Amino acid sequence: MTSIAELMTHDHRSCDHDFARAETLAMKNDWDGAAAAFEAFAEGLEAHFRAEEEELFPRFEAATGMTQGPTQVMRGEHADMRNTLAQLRAAVQDRDADEFAGEAETLLIMMQQHNMKEENILYPMCDMHLGEQRSTLVDALGQRVTHEYAA
Amino acid sequence: MSSANPGLAYEDTPPLSAPLRFFLTAPLFGIAAGVLLLADGELLVSRWTPGALSAVHLFAAGFMLQVMLGALLQILPVVAGAGFPAPLRIATITHALVGSGAASLAYGLGAGSPNAIIAGGVLLAAGLLTFLAASLVALARAAPAQGASRTPRDLRLALGALGLTTLFGIMLALVLGRGLALPFALPTLVDLHAIWAWLGWGGLLLAATSWVVVPMFQITPAYPARFTQLWAPVTLAVLTLWSVSLLAGVELAVSVLGSVLIALSAAFALQTLKLQRSTRRSTPDAPFRAFRMSMIALVGSVIALLLALLHDAPQWPVLAGVLVLHGTFAGAISAMLYKIVPFLTWLHLTQARVRAPNMKKLLPDVLIRRQILVHGAALGALVLAVFVPVLTPLAGLLVVIEFGWLLLNLLHAVREWHRAAHA
Repeated sequence: MTSIAELMTHDHRSCDHDFARAETLAMKNDWDGAAAAFEAFAEGLEAHFRAEEEELFPRFEAATGMTQGPTQVMRGEHADMRNTLAQLRAAVQDRDADEFAGEAETLLIMMQQHNMKEENILYPMCDMHLGEQRSTLVDALGQRVTHEYAA
Repeated sequence: MSSANPGLAYEDTPPLSAPLRFFLTAPLFGIAAGVLLLADGELLVSRWTPGALSAVHLFAAGFMLQVMLGALLQILPVVAGAGFPAPLRIATITHALVGSGAASLAYGLGAGSPNAIIAGGVLLAAGLLTFLAASLVALARAAPAQGASRTPRDLRLALGALGLTTLFGIMLALVLGRGLALPFALPTLVDLHAIWAWLGWGGLLLAATSWVVVPMFQITPAYPARFTQLWAPVTLAVLTLWSVSLLAGVELAVSVLGSVLIALSAAFALQTLKLQRSTRRSTPDAPFRAFRMSMIALVGSVIALLLALLHDAPQWPVLAGVLVLHGTFAGAISAMLYKIVPFLTWLHLTQARVRAPNMKKLLPDVLIRRQILVHGAALGALVLAVFVPVLTPLAGLLVVIEFGWLLLNLLHAVREWHRAAHA
């Protein structure tokens, strides 16, 4: 049976690939392609954030009683990443390669240190605390994220 | 509550000054090693010259160890949910003890001063034991690792090897400084200390870090699960058997197990290079290239070690040492510092609700690229100087420039951080 950690980690990697595609096109100065790839990346990232904020985190908080703990920190980091994503979108619209490279680097590091915390700490905790509802939760999360997971 | 909730460790991110002090003083030791090379043309003639012993410890205990400890303060909470108790105090104590210990030890080894060797050994051991005790507390309070990543487990193994390296080191200091009698030959203890330091501590730490850093930041496929599952425990087990064989004087076992250790090191380097070839990032930046270069240097050091097994010339161990210490570790560490320091300054500004300049404004790529070029030139000169001693001062000069520039680049990011914070 697919675990929450497997499904969501797979979605992280898929978002990384979308990110790399947008970055590659921007570095080639293919700004039309970069804009389309960027929007696909942004859509996938937003779907991932919302799946966590609206499905996973509330259930974790209900199961553990921890509302000010790790999920709160993760929500704060989502907000920071949404800000950087907006800067990146502006750089795509302005076709500013230097600005894009700097914001992309910032977002990548932001995403990856966030992913490390989720993959190493939070998701395993979710799998542990949400054991009984795991299969329905995995189905619900799988429908919300944009990248299909083939177990 | 905090012991039952490792997630709260997210908020235990240490203050910026805790890791930063390690990162900013470490390059000074690299500069000092360069000055030694500049002053002593015979330094690389053998691994046993006082100058070589001194330079090795400036590199290993001064530069590498300081950055590694500073980075662990930052990374243990993130990958293992293990927040240090009183991180600022631990940083202050450890930094002062390890920094002064490395300086004293390097001076003692170079100048032949038993008292400085003992003082250096004791200061270093006190600093490392403080750090190890604090990390044990942090790891004990963290939830047991349940994620798929082997990084938290392998960081623990590396810390264990650091403990053993420290023990061998303090024994050596007592032998050299106080004439402690050993039941076996001195070179045996030196080899134990060196291999546990390089492979047990340095190698495992580099591998544990690479398991997460390479796939996530360079957007490559993941390391094969079986590889990360087995590499560190097998390496540590073979290293232990090799050490026992060495102490027992079973020469055949020492050779066979030594070859296995060499093969394991090569496997890690080649696996990493293979993953890096399939990166999805189209334009590898300077730190990425530096990391790749460090893996190629690791392959080179493996070849030098094989040559040392086949052929008795004193150059091969020195070449292996140059390629591991300067090529592999200084290269990989510089690459990581270039990601860590701008990100920490950025994070600090963002947490203070200041609008932070992006990473490449905090530390422009062009500055990194030029410094990495000097690193490559310094490595080339060091390799040549192993065979052509007259080139040693030139290599020393390049090493001084390399680490001076590294320091200036890191200070650039710190200055930009100050400017943004007070704008």
